[in-house]
Amino acid sequence: MIELQRVTKSFNAGKSNQFTAVQDVSLSIEPGRVTVLKGPSGSGKTTLLTLIGCMARPTSGRIMFHGLNTASFPGAGEAGEVEITSLPERFLTGIRRASFGFIFQHFNLVRGITVLENVMLPAYPVGEGHGIMRKRALRLLEMFDISRHALSRVDFLSGGESQRVAIARALINNPSVIIADEPTAHLDTMLSREFMGIVGSFKNEGKTILIASHDPLVYDSPLADKVVEMRDGRITHDVGPP
Amino acid sequence: MNSSLERHRNIVDFALSSLLRRKGKNISLLAVYTLIVFVIASIIFFIQALKREASLVLKDAPDIVVQRLVAGRHDLIPVVYGDKIASIRGVSRVRPRLWGYYYDAAVGANYTLMVTDNQPPAEESIIIGSGVARTRRLAEGDLMTFRDSSGSPVLLTVEKILPAASELVAADLIIMADKDFRGMFTFPRDRATDLALTVANPREITTIAAKIAQRLPDTRPILKSEILRTYDSVFDWRGGMLIVMLSVAVLSFIIFAWDKATGLSAEERKEIGILKSIGWETADVLLLKFWEGTAISLSAFLVGVILAYCHVFFFSASLFEQALKGWAVLYPRFRLTPVIDPYQLAVLFFLTVIPYTVTTIIPSWRAATVDPDAAMRS
Amino acid sequence: MKGERRGVKGLPNVRRSTIFFIFIMISILLFASLLLHARQSRIRSKATLTANAEMVGRLMLTDLCLFTEARYTRHPSMADLHSPFQDHPFAMDHFPSGSLVSPPRFHRETP
Repeated sequence: MIELQRVTKSFNAGKSNQFTAVQDVSLSIEPGRVTVLKGPSGSGKTTLLTLIGCMARPTSGRIMFHGLNTASFPGAGEAGEVEITSLPERFLTGIRRASFGFIFQHFNLVRGITVLENVMLPAYPVGEGHGIMRKRALRLLEMFDISRHALSRVDFLSGGESQRVAIARALINNPSVIIADEPTAHLDTMLSREFMGIVGSFKNEGKTILIASHDPLVYDSPLADKVVEMRDGRITHDVGPP
Repeated sequence: MNSSLERHRNIVDFALSSLLRRKGKNISLLAVYTLIVFVIASIIFFIQALKREASLVLKDAPDIVVQRLVAGRHDLIPVVYGDKIASIRGVSRVRPRLWGYYYDAAVGANYTLMVTDNQPPAEESIIIGSGVARTRRLAEGDLMTFRDSSGSPVLLTVEKILPAASELVAADLIIMADKDFRGMFTFPRDRATDLALTVANPREITTIAAKIAQRLPDTRPILKSEILRTYDSVFDWRGGMLIVMLSVAVLSFIIFAWDKATGLSAEERKEIGILKSIGWETADVLLLKFWEGTAISLSAFLVGVILAYCHVFFFSASLFEQALKGWAVLYPRFRLTPVIDPYQLAVLFFLTVIPYTVTTIIPSWRAATVDPDAAMRS
Repeated sequence: MKGERRGVKGLPNVRRSTIFFIFIMISILLFASLLLHARQSRIRSKATLTANAEMVGRLMLTDLCLFTEARYTRHPSMADLHSPFQDHPFAMDHFPSGSLVSPPRFHRETP
């Protein structure tokens, strides 16, 4: 479980263009459930995702992880609890690599290289055997039915295919948490439904899913266990399971 | 498998794939870089080999050569000066040298004519260097025509041609009998071109030279050490054409480094952002840039040096021939003995590989340290 | 078909880093063999060098025959300092090799 306690994130602190993206947010992300952050653009959804996903540190407040494999992390409390706010960058990146898989709004694939290499890229610095890594990547490509494109350059793929590459990439390190930022923004209805289907299969595997979206197809989906409404950096509404 | 090694290999994989993505640019970069290393390494090899050859071959040159100067110019030396010099203690032998230059208008070549009393040719015969034989297409038994100082032709028979292996010292030599030499140039009997001295104790050479200069003020003694030092300063790094060649090489190099150092393109910056967002640490990104730079610079260095070695020692530095030959018609054919100076190669390595790698890493530093959440934003 | 993992044109997948490291290894080996060649050549050329040194001693030679285009470049160790300037005190070197060979520096004052 991921717990946020009164988290605030400000940019350009002290300067004239100081801007607070997330204001005093307290939130629990249940493991194995689908949580959706709903709200218009500028509401702080993306920033919140980056904070939860160990990509940035909050300006104030605490973020705690419960139930992670924290054996190697300093400052691990009882019952495998880790506060990530104070961890050095190296450990933060380590946690992020091992536990989180990101699907970006614009996919963020590296142009000019193959699909296969794109999918393997997050695993490169980990240093596991090349053969193992490659097998896993190919299996993922097969899972999402794009293995025929394995050696094609990503530049030549359609929107839907690119997204599936992005999803496969997010899974390469076997993360327990999937974070997706506006995943259906560039997809038509059919592909959006397909995406939600994939989300369902993740849930069946016991993964935790966190999606930021203003697409009703996502937040009104029966798969969504908890919908958190945000506006101007604050949570305005929290509809969770009873 | 060792995870640190695997990590490096993975990052090298990606570095290579990054380089291959801009194939044209990187291949031409590699080519020019290799060329620069090739030129500089060729120069280094050539000079070192020549210097060594000179020091080994000229070690039996005369201990002192005494020239006569008249009005600051080299003039013929009276043979009686030799007697005065022979009386100096420590001088074991004084021998007059008869030699000079001859310009062959037929082919435009300069030859060195000389007389020797050690295995001299017969009268009206000459022993020629293989370079002369080559330039004039002469064989043993052929006749060679000269013009004497009054313009009349002089015919001399080629008695012998010196071995090809001696080209580096004797390519342009024409050895003739004393009578023929003096006759051709109306060379006075009481004069010589200069005097060659043998000194019993090498440590006394400087003292003896000082005495000669004192007793015969119109002479100029040249020591063997000075003869040898001449070849240390041949191709002086500070002089002439070498500076030009080097400057061109260094300048081209700086241009490449500049191209790299003036920052990353937006695309490169974005890519680093993506890498950071998918879990690469700053150290991983820097390692990537390091390998991108090193892949090119290391390859260029190795290939350039290997090619330079082959060029200088298998092809007798044929690319330099035009520059070295200048306007000379007669250029010796020689095969240099390889010399590899590890110090200079190490310097070359540090001057080529390291700066290039550094200029690949530095501009990426800032982009590499950016927070990964910036990638989410774009 | 999907089960097999083949690279380009059906060749088994070879990592780029492998190719690169092999290339570097080969280059280093080549370089090492050149070092060996240098050593061998030095031994083999001893006879020629000795013969040439003997000729130098016998004929009382003082210079290598490298630049035959001008007097002062043919025998740089014998050159009198004024040859290049005999036409004019500031005349540049006529001959290209004059820029390769500088007049020797003598460490004593000539009277």
